[in-house]
Amino acid sequence: MQDHVHHHDSTRDGSSDATPGGIVDKRRPGELVFTACLVIFSGVLLWNAYGISGFEALSGAGSVPMATAAVMLISVTIVFWRTVKLSKTEDETVMEDITPPLVIILALFLVAYGILLKPLGFLPTSALFLIASIKLLSKRNWGFTLLVSLGSLLAIYLVFRIVFTVLMPAGIVPEAEALQLLRNLFKGGA
Amino acid sequence: MDAFMAFLTIFTHPELLLLVGVGTFAGVYVGAIPGLSVTMAVSILISFTFSWDVLPAISLMIGIYMGGVYGGSRTAILLNIPGAPSAIATAMDGYPMAQRGEAGEAIGTTTVMSFFGGLVGIVVLAVLAPVVSDFALKFQPRDYMLLAVLGILLVGSLSSGSLVKGIFAGALGIAIGAVGMDPLTFTERFTFDIPLMRGGINFIAVMIGMFGVSEALMQLHHVDTPAIRQKINRIVPSFGTIRKHLPLSLQTSTIGVLIGALPGTGGDIAALMAYDHAKRVTKNPSRPFGEGAIEGLVAPETANNAAVGGAFIPMMTLGIPGDAVTAIMIGALFIHGLNPGPMLMVEQPDMFWFIVGALVMANFFMLLFGLTGIKLFTKIVEMPRAVLIPLILLLSIVGAYAVNNSITDVYWMLGFGVFGYFMRHYGYPLGPVILGVILSRLLDDNWRRAIISEREDLGRFFHGIVTSPLSLVLFVAVILIFVSQTPLWTKFRKKETASK
Repeated sequence: MQDHVHHHDSTRDGSSDATPGGIVDKRRPGELVFTACLVIFSGVLLWNAYGISGFEALSGAGSVPMATAAVMLISVTIVFWRTVKLSKTEDETVMEDITPPLVIILALFLVAYGILLKPLGFLPTSALFLIASIKLLSKRNWGFTLLVSLGSLLAIYLVFRIVFTVLMPAGIVPEAEALQLLRNLFKGGA
Repeated sequence: MDAFMAFLTIFTHPELLLLVGVGTFAGVYVGAIPGLSVTMAVSILISFTFSWDVLPAISLMIGIYMGGVYGGSRTAILLNIPGAPSAIATAMDGYPMAQRGEAGEAIGTTTVMSFFGGLVGIVVLAVLAPVVSDFALKFQPRDYMLLAVLGILLVGSLSSGSLVKGIFAGALGIAIGAVGMDPLTFTERFTFDIPLMRGGINFIAVMIGMFGVSEALMQLHHVDTPAIRQKINRIVPSFGTIRKHLPLSLQTSTIGVLIGALPGTGGDIAALMAYDHAKRVTKNPSRPFGEGAIEGLVAPETANNAAVGGAFIPMMTLGIPGDAVTAIMIGALFIHGLNPGPMLMVEQPDMFWFIVGALVMANFFMLLFGLTGIKLFTKIVEMPRAVLIPLILLLSIVGAYAVNNSITDVYWMLGFGVFGYFMRHYGYPLGPVILGVILSRLLDDNWRRAIISEREDLGRFFHGIVTSPLSLVLFVAVILIFVSQTPLWTKFRKKETASK
């Protein structure tokens, strides 16, 4: 049924609402490491939860956190145990199917965005981000890239700044002054 | 009378009407574009409507929700790619119809049936929610606690092949929700002595990360997928077709409302169950199922839109979300200072009737946009992913930043985005995480209230559960979900079917 519905290997991707991806009866590359990390993480969390209020009272601040962390640890340990026993998928590698270069590059772009947002400001950072990623993904010429990225940035800026009144960091762009200038201009014209 | 006036609010305020319309329109298209899900749209949007009044914000979100559940069917029919998870079942017969050149008929029937299902869902919501909330006033804290656990377990078990992964995801959500200062004792929880974590993790950042960024990163795997074009003919279905399938659509709408009303389960599961139901009860389908049976379209499409109304029942009456989107809406109501639950229905019934009105309106808009604008539709769906993905990522960042004007939230969002991306790859469902985050407070508070009222005595607590019929039912349901996933039960079921 699933194969019939999806193209490519998108059943492995899962969907955002409820249907998870993965492959049920095979171990995907990197799955064991991921699960092991989760086991360790859950263990640390349980230890931390114990430190909140210990076993002093059932109604203590730490009881639900402790129970939660314990459930995490137990469930993910079961997952780990099951994963160990599964055979590997034959046709997949980490670099091709889990974190292909495109995903890594885009993730790095996002980190760079986070770092540059405050000092540079929203408009220049977003412009750089959109131009770089659209150029990289579409492999189209610079004209297309610049037109699409700057055009959509302008649309996003107008919608969110004016309709939703979201204030993004201005950085090096004298945004407020420019908007004021624009308003004065229109006032003067009217 | 007051209720009726509140119901009419939406019809008498042009700006709210417009917002529902814009929301529905956006929802239909967002739902139709593969890779853009309703959950994603609503979670990004909630941050932008943060500074708005509550009524406009809700209007917009309801429109998107209603439109999005429907919109997924279009691409399912035309391209065999369900635009939303709730349209997975739609593709099974919708696409074969399109291949036979009946795409128009398929879309038309889908639209009318979605409208019908949506109406049934809303009617049930309007009739049942006041009853449920009256009943819910009698709920003990332990019942709320059990309900929250049940909701998280249900979404974990029904949505994935692996219950343990679902349980892990739900528990992770509860843990994320617990980060920060405990509101009762002012003890730090899961802060690891980092000052930034004292304020807790912004749940909107978690949602946008998990549903926006991780989805966009996932779509990078399919960036080179070319768009396919389809020819579309007549779109408004004949009255005869609709009348013929009325009995089936009533049944499947009922399934939709019921599944939608279960805490934690939404349109996607409702659609699959309705499809299964149609397969069993339809003696003479127009064609064999899977080869373009119109019954195979009627069933999932009525069910998933009926589930919308259904999902609002536990959300409005108990404060427990019916699915991932209503989980986000509960978050939105919290942000606007409202507290969904039985008291909301008592103290602010207007809010409830307003939402019912908005749903009705969204349903009509859905019918309107569903039967028009095919040309525009094909243009929008052909938008290349190379442009779409960077835009989603940018919107996710803006959304995460906008809530608190804080870079920290952006980092949380990115972190959860990457984490969610791996979770998807390895088969962990994301729905339970969000449900866990939203229900964390409710679970914690009610557990503590329950156990304090039993003087910290676990024995008395369990005695309380077995002696109250409601608690007992909930408790048994929780246990059953566990048992039904154990190897023992699977063996038992196999024997059962083999002996038949």
